[in-house]
Amino acid sequence: MIYELRHVTTYGYGRPVPFSRCILRLLPRDGSGQRVEKADLTITPRPAERSDSVCFFGNRMTSITIAKPHRELKLEMRARIVVDRPAPPHPGLTRGWEEVARLAQESNSLAPDSPAHHLYPSRLVPPVAAVVAYARESFGGARPVLEAACELMARIRRDFSYDPEATEVTTPLAEAFAQRHGVCQDFAHIMIAGLRGLGLPAAYVSGYIRTIPPPGEKRLEGADASHAWVMLWCGPETGWIGLDPTNDLIVADDHIVTAVGRDYADVAPLDGVVIGPGSQKVGVAVDVVPVG
Amino acid sequence: MAVQGRTRTGRSRADRRAALLAGYRPLPGAFDEFIDGQGEVRPHWEPFLSEWCALSPAELSQRFGLADRHVRDTGVSYRVHGDVDARDPGFGERAWPLSHVPLVIPEAEWQVIAAGVTQRAELLSTLLDDIYGPGALIAKGLLPAAAITGSPDYLRPLHGAPGGGSLQLYAADLGRGPDGRWWVLQDRTQAPSGTGYALENRLALARAFPDMFRSMNIERLASFFQGFRAGLVARSKRVEPRICLLTPGPLNESYFEQAYLARYLGFLLVEGGDLVMREGRIHVRTIAGLKRADVIWRRIDGDFADPLELNAASALGVAGLVEAVRQGQVHVANGLGSGVVEARALMGFMPAIARQLTGEELILPNIATWWCGQPQERETVLDRLGEMSVAPAFRGNGGPDDAPVLPGELSETERDRLRQRIVARGMDYVGQEVVRLSTMPVFQNGRLEPHPMTLRVFAASTPEGWKVMPGGFCRISDEPDARAVSLRNGVRSTDVWITSEEPVAQVSLLPTPDRIGIRRVSGTLPSRAADNLFWLGRYLERSEATLRLVRALLGRLMDADPAPGRSETVKQLAGMLVAWGAAGGGPARKDPVAQARAALHSLDDYGSAAASIREARRTASVIRERLSIDAWRLFGDLQRQLVPEDGRKPSEGETYEIADRALKSLAAFSGLSQENMVRGPGWRFLDIGRRLERGIATCRFARQFADSHASGDSLDALLDLTDSQITYRSRYLLGASLLPVLDLVMLDPYNPRSVAFQVERLDAEIADLPTLADDGMLEAPRRLVLRLAADCRTTEAERLDRTSVLLFEQLLMGLSGAIADRYFLQNSGPEGSRMTSIA
Repeated sequence: MIYELRHVTTYGYGRPVPFSRCILRLLPRDGSGQRVEKADLTITPRPAERSDSVCFFGNRMTSITIAKPHRELKLEMRARIVVDRPAPPHPGLTRGWEEVARLAQESNSLAPDSPAHHLYPSRLVPPVAAVVAYARESFGGARPVLEAACELMARIRRDFSYDPEATEVTTPLAEAFAQRHGVCQDFAHIMIAGLRGLGLPAAYVSGYIRTIPPPGEKRLEGADASHAWVMLWCGPETGWIGLDPTNDLIVADDHIVTAVGRDYADVAPLDGVVIGPGSQKVGVAVDVVPVG
Repeated sequence: MAVQGRTRTGRSRADRRAALLAGYRPLPGAFDEFIDGQGEVRPHWEPFLSEWCALSPAELSQRFGLADRHVRDTGVSYRVHGDVDARDPGFGERAWPLSHVPLVIPEAEWQVIAAGVTQRAELLSTLLDDIYGPGALIAKGLLPAAAITGSPDYLRPLHGAPGGGSLQLYAADLGRGPDGRWWVLQDRTQAPSGTGYALENRLALARAFPDMFRSMNIERLASFFQGFRAGLVARSKRVEPRICLLTPGPLNESYFEQAYLARYLGFLLVEGGDLVMREGRIHVRTIAGLKRADVIWRRIDGDFADPLELNAASALGVAGLVEAVRQGQVHVANGLGSGVVEARALMGFMPAIARQLTGEELILPNIATWWCGQPQERETVLDRLGEMSVAPAFRGNGGPDDAPVLPGELSETERDRLRQRIVARGMDYVGQEVVRLSTMPVFQNGRLEPHPMTLRVFAASTPEGWKVMPGGFCRISDEPDARAVSLRNGVRSTDVWITSEEPVAQVSLLPTPDRIGIRRVSGTLPSRAADNLFWLGRYLERSEATLRLVRALLGRLMDADPAPGRSETVKQLAGMLVAWGAAGGGPARKDPVAQARAALHSLDDYGSAAASIREARRTASVIRERLSIDAWRLFGDLQRQLVPEDGRKPSEGETYEIADRALKSLAAFSGLSQENMVRGPGWRFLDIGRRLERGIATCRFARQFADSHASGDSLDALLDLTDSQITYRSRYLLGASLLPVLDLVMLDPYNPRSVAFQVERLDAEIADLPTLADDGMLEAPRRLVLRLAADCRTTEAERLDRTSVLLFEQLLMGLSGAIADRYFLQNSGPEGSRMTSIA
């Protein structure tokens, strides 16, 4: 599948901001079954300094400094991406989950794709006993890891309601869990907390999902959204498999990866320090257009 | 007679020795530093003991007094987290509890410790290079990756960055087991604290026992610091590098130590907000613009050092620091990622790593540690759970709480729960052998008692390799059972004496920066320091004005022979205290005496003398490294003077006395700063603050007490408030009359209390401050002060009225704002709000 992506973010400030320094993680990465044919990020106003690099986990980072007063910051990302993922293994044929946990703990690699990076609590995924207990219900005996994880994913989809009003970026995981609602980011964090609590390596993925308009209706311009899901390491042969608890899907060619990290904090599209912005307003428009 | 006398002395010496040792019973099963297994004093303690016994109880307490005064006067303190009580004159800072008996270690034994600590520093250094570099030890299977990745101090953005995990200062916490061997209890690689405390303890005990230092051949500390500094200098690309000590700020528990070390080593003490990254380099914001920082000795955790690439919630760091490190433009010591090897999980692997890297065994073993991330080790721990100590494998990564537990002392349910957690996520835990610490003597109630202790030993990377501080920081527990000694639990500390057979090289006992060969840092003043000095000046002057109001008010109330218009003046003075914010208004406080009392003591009224002094002290504490000990002590005096005695209302006369005494202390502070402070930019900002505040207050007084209908008594009050009574009387025979009074307090450039005089001083100070551009244009503060000076010189007294005085006051306020805009940080610090958002 080939996609054309457009993602525009606009920050409006109550008063002019004299200086800002930011790190942007908006350009999509290669790998995990996708190839970025081209990708550009246009920043207005033009930054005084800009450098593009790749972070430890292999995500693309753009560091910018804007040194002149501005009331608005506009980030426009356009990309063309080919997604072609191999079919996932049959869940029932993957290794037993306890064995996968042991293999991850014994890993002797610090490389970015090593499962060892994703075993422990992280900034936004603290250990929450209730979440682990919830996850454990799906992980009996020596159950194949992907089969158990798919069941957990299905339960999250069933037990939690999608509610963009209920949570914010800053809502703690335990709170979203207790209330049984949230958005894709909350579901991903909850699933990760459950898996890690059992000793399984789980990563956070930010990106996009193709949306299909209802029959007979036209796709609305800018109506798509960025998305988040989970990757689970299923052993050395199978490697990382994407699981989307918001949609109860094993990730295939409908998902486009922007960045991978331990949680949202590793892949936030924008981290920055701005001086004296007062209030700010954020506008977002996303288009995910399949072109072939 | 002579014979008798000797006998008496001899006997009393022996008596003292016997009394001192009488109750000393080493704890069963623990090694004692002082007494051997046969109950004899160990030979290396004999010189100390005999000198000690030569002193009479009176002499001893006099010497303890010297040491304690040294501790108190230098403000050696330890801030307990969250313990900041504004009502406590000490502000939550506690005098460092110093134990007067040092830990004595003979040199031969010390050599083993030093060799062991050096070996460990080298090993950890190599390990860090590998973790942030090729990862060869992990690939070889010597160390599972998960023993690294669990640490919140494993900072992935530093992977491959130059010096990402470099080690310049290493500390090992040691304990001595029952068999007499020293063990490493914990490695400190993040930002080890304690070097400053060690230095302070040394100076304090050296003051108490100078003769022992001469006779016992005790190794000196100064060359260690010299080496550490040289090591930092060597990391810079410039010959005369600017070295900054990056502190988390005055609320940190070891802020004092940081300020002390910055002064001792000649480093610039900075907070994150003082630093800024531009074009890949780190700069200090100073009053002369941005100045490059070459080396940063950090005392904040690495993860907090950069909100952009590390912990986004941190307000302590510098946005872009990681990028500057990556580009090799700044050296951070210890490397931002160095904390990763502090993890207990690694301790179990150290013997094998030592063998692999050096072909040798560890000279100092660490406490036996089993990381439960490995199946076999986990089984060992679970089998022997009752006899082990169980601790988190990694410091606060959101996993288990940090304190070790002794499963043997838990209830069965609790132990089972712990067992389940270890089974579920073994990688979060280590099991460790329980080590009993050795004991050393503490002098209490006239005799020595054994107390458990740990010893922190420091090693610095110098251009000549690792150098171990010959001494250290010894912490002593108050509990008879010390398996976890924490500074926060009210333990004592003492100096560590390494005694040599040979006389040691004579280095000064009281090393000062010039004696350890330290050059001056560039004279640029950080903007934050300038800001605080300015406000220090303003608060001091503000409290002075309040005190003068109180004195003028009470003097008039107590006057047996009131002048005409008195009741009106009293009302005005009291009204001013209320308008000032020094005393609450309202019907409850109609009584002017009550208002005067409140204006002195009330901490709830922001304008009271006590509140202003509190603010002054708070401001001063942030720039402590720039104030003399004497100046610091005056704050204590002032606060004590202004705290009322409990539950007793002082009489009018007493209250007057208090205000009078406090004014004298303030005068002493002015004297100190006039006579003892270098006329650098720091002093200038202090003076600018005082002059501005005095000018503003004088304008207010003049508006209130010298309008066109002012009575003689009212003008008299104005002369009191501006301390111009004597000058006036010497010039004019008649009583106070409007124009001469106004001229004297507003326009007379020869009266050091007049507004005109303040403006002249302000002009002189501001003219001497650095300018940013050399385009010949005046900067805003200079422009304003020149205008004020011209107005003062050209205005005539008859033209002065409420409006024109108000204009002077407003111009002074405007000048204050212009100074803040030009020289201070002005919300450019890390408080700039973050924008983080999910799209």
